[in-house]
Amino acid sequence: MAMKKFLNDPSNITKELLEGMTACYSNKVKLVNEKIVVRATPKCDCKVAIVSLGGTGHEPAISGFVGEGMLDASVAGDIFAAPGAPKLLEALRLFKREAGIILVTLNHAGDRMSANKALRDAQKEGIKVMEIVTQEDISAGIDIDPEEKRGLGGCIPLYKVIGAAAEQGKSLEEIYELGQRFNKQMATLAVAMTGCTHPQNGGVIAVLPEDEMEIGMGQHGEAGGGRSKILTADETAAKMIAPLMQATGVKAGDSAMLIVNGVGATTLMEMFVVYRKAAGLLAEKGVKTVPGICDELLTVQEMAGFQMILCKLDPDHVELMKATANSPYWTVV
Amino acid sequence: MLTLQKFKEMMVAAGVDIRASEKHFSELDAASGGDGDHGTAIVTAFNAMDKVTEAGCFKRYLKALTDTLQNEACGSTSTLYGSWLQGMSDAAPEKVTELDAPAVATLFKGGLEEIGFTTKARVGDKTLMDALIPATEALCAAAGSGVPAMFKAGAEAAQKGSEATRAMRAKFGRAKNLGERSIGPVDAGSASMATIFTSFAKAF
Repeated sequence: MAMKKFLNDPSNITKELLEGMTACYSNKVKLVNEKIVVRATPKCDCKVAIVSLGGTGHEPAISGFVGEGMLDASVAGDIFAAPGAPKLLEALRLFKREAGIILVTLNHAGDRMSANKALRDAQKEGIKVMEIVTQEDISAGIDIDPEEKRGLGGCIPLYKVIGAAAEQGKSLEEIYELGQRFNKQMATLAVAMTGCTHPQNGGVIAVLPEDEMEIGMGQHGEAGGGRSKILTADETAAKMIAPLMQATGVKAGDSAMLIVNGVGATTLMEMFVVYRKAAGLLAEKGVKTVPGICDELLTVQEMAGFQMILCKLDPDHVELMKATANSPYWTVV
Repeated sequence: MLTLQKFKEMMVAAGVDIRASEKHFSELDAASGGDGDHGTAIVTAFNAMDKVTEAGCFKRYLKALTDTLQNEACGSTSTLYGSWLQGMSDAAPEKVTELDAPAVATLFKGGLEEIGFTTKARVGDKTLMDALIPATEALCAAAGSGVPAMFKAGAEAAQKGSEATRAMRAKFGRAKNLGERSIGPVDAGSASMATIFTSFAKAF
């Protein structure tokens, strides 16, 4: 697979894409300290700040979710690579406040390590931070050790919920509690049909035979194991929504949000077809779905496939989902 | 006694041995399912540390190593070594340029404790901790026999610990996605850590 991408010097991709994103959405976000995306207009420092970190190459995640009612800052690393601890510590220092900071870390080795080191250093400097680790990928199993579960696109609806709570002026402990409750009630499964190339070195990530797909593929093309011949949209949706329902524990009468997150080369047309079936199966079980999302939120270059994210919502989560949001890629008016 | 001058020479010597095995570390990394860049990462780290000229005392020298490493190199290798050196700096007494055997043990214990906050990996997880944990324990246990004996014990334990990673299944980093296929090769991070302890021991 030859790499066909519009690029300049590959070592400058992260810098250039962040410059582009902040130029395009200059009314919402700006770039500081090279790799930290913050709101164009910061919120009052009397409120809890929400910060997250992650590699680039997954646009619009994570920086596209900085804005009112969402993140206060995203700390970018490099392509598929976590930022170092010093850069994250810089961001924590920028948002040091009496109200405190919630740091959202996706469960990947590099992100966890940088976060652990930065949290330790922040603690020594008297910065008040509580960490929420997302680990909602169920491809390796539902009841396994959470440390073995990767953080996929589920971080994004989590940003929405805790971002809205922070905007309302809730305390650090309240936000942490409702965030962790949300975190434990969400689950993600990914499916891939084609691999992709690493934009810096052209290396091929995750090769799949022409007529096969794989359920459980990670966001760097890590193998998840569930390979099969390509199924129809309905069969795929059914095969994915069942374990997601089991993992979230969603049942008749519960509210839930369903997200189909395209990872790069799957069309919205396909996503809508899949969404229709999955939402239908939830309705059949008596689950009440709130308005969801079919879009590209967290991508993996030109990989074809999607992540299906199911979030069981408590009544307070339902209200927080309706609150105003104004980030480049999640807006509620 | 371990003088600061001696310790600096040990760090430089470790850098020389690490550079000599750069390709080997990258090959080990690729063989066990990592992204094949450990040689580059560890050499980058030592190249950065070679620039440190701080001569004041153990505490300041180790802190300067930490800062330079973190500012000039990225990736998990730098984060881990940054934590290790930071922990040693925190454990070092103020304004001291000579450490006796118990103080050397305290230094390495501090380093291990701090790196333990950054990674949850422990013995058996097929990471650099498989070399560092037994090396630190052996080094501390030999404190009664003097500084040279401590580093000799540390080097032996690090080599043994690294060798034991052959039979392990990776649980951290990208290699973990290979599962059973990660069994066989020695873990690259443990191999470079063992090289460092071996270089340290050769200084006596």
